[in-house]
Amino acid sequence: MTRIRRGYIARRRRTKIRLFASTFRGTHSRLTRTTIQQKMRALVSAHRDRGRQKRNFRRLWITRINAAIREIGVSYSYSRSIHDLYKGRLLLNRKILAQIAISNRNCLYMISNKIMKIK
Amino acid sequence: MAAAAATKFNGNVKKALAGLRRINLEGLRWRVFDAKGQVLGRLAAQISTVIQGKDKPTYTPYREDGDMCIVLNAKDIAVTGRKMTDKVYYWHTGYIGHLKQRTLKDQMAKDPTEVIRKAVLRMLPRNKLRDDRDRKLRIFTGSEHPFNDRPLEPYMMPPRKVRELRPRVRRAMVRAQKKAEGQQQKGDSGKIARRKKESLLLETSASNHLPSSYLGFVCSGDEFDCS
Repeated sequence: MTRIRRGYIARRRRTKIRLFASTFRGTHSRLTRTTIQQKMRALVSAHRDRGRQKRNFRRLWITRINAAIREIGVSYSYSRSIHDLYKGRLLLNRKILAQIAISNRNCLYMISNKIMKIK
Repeated sequence: MAAAAATKFNGNVKKALAGLRRINLEGLRWRVFDAKGQVLGRLAAQISTVIQGKDKPTYTPYREDGDMCIVLNAKDIAVTGRKMTDKVYYWHTGYIGHLKQRTLKDQMAKDPTEVIRKAVLRMLPRNKLRDDRDRKLRIFTGSEHPFNDRPLEPYMMPPRKVRELRPRVRRAMVRAQKKAEGQQQKGDSGKIARRKKESLLLETSASNHLPSSYLGFVCSGDEFDCS
């Protein structure tokens, strides 16, 4: 059999990986075998955290809405306000409510006053 | 008055003001908690929410944005049940066999501020912001503090739902009442006996111990003032 050199195939593959991991710290961006491993870990984390991101943001919105809602009354809380929202069949989601809570607090109070009065 | 109060505070002024420069933002409010007669854990829970900044709609988990909390009258904190004598703080020094312990009573005698500080610190999430939050918490044994020139805001604790007395405890309390009434009639002086009867049930701040009967007493407004 004739001798075959592999040429630039491996190098091309590895430069792509190195480009991806070019901003990593220390040897994680310099040594080939390490960068391959770190790229794998980075992609796994990204995949897993795309699902987590949705959860985390919902948590954050809920915390923020809770904080804003509790200033309305003594025993008024996020859970009661969500219950009132569902009773009043208001379709605002938590993202929008949290944004309203930050930017336009009075608007949130108006909304909650209205839904508190429904029955 | 403020100057007098501040100078009366001379001993701990340095410790009280320590690390204030490290706290970045001064858009923070200064909330004052009065621990007199408050139950330890419930107060600590409220303080921990305020310190984390979770009562603000701009709460961000990676940014430290809580208000400065000043706790006064730490020596008048109350606990239910027999915790005064039975609650034990354990810690290990790292050396083998050196598990140390100290009861609540001894800790209050030694340093009452540590009781509240431990309670609040153990309620905060264990992350990198915990030390900064600790720095925002200032606890004072009495009601004097050197922050009188700041814009302070007192914190209203939410009202407490005291659960109804358990039957056995209620019977014990009734028996104690009857005994006190019997003694009152013997003593034959209305005012003193009423004070005595009240003092039986609402033990004074000198002992810092709310017997379980008090805590279980439903606020009916009949006779006892559940404050």
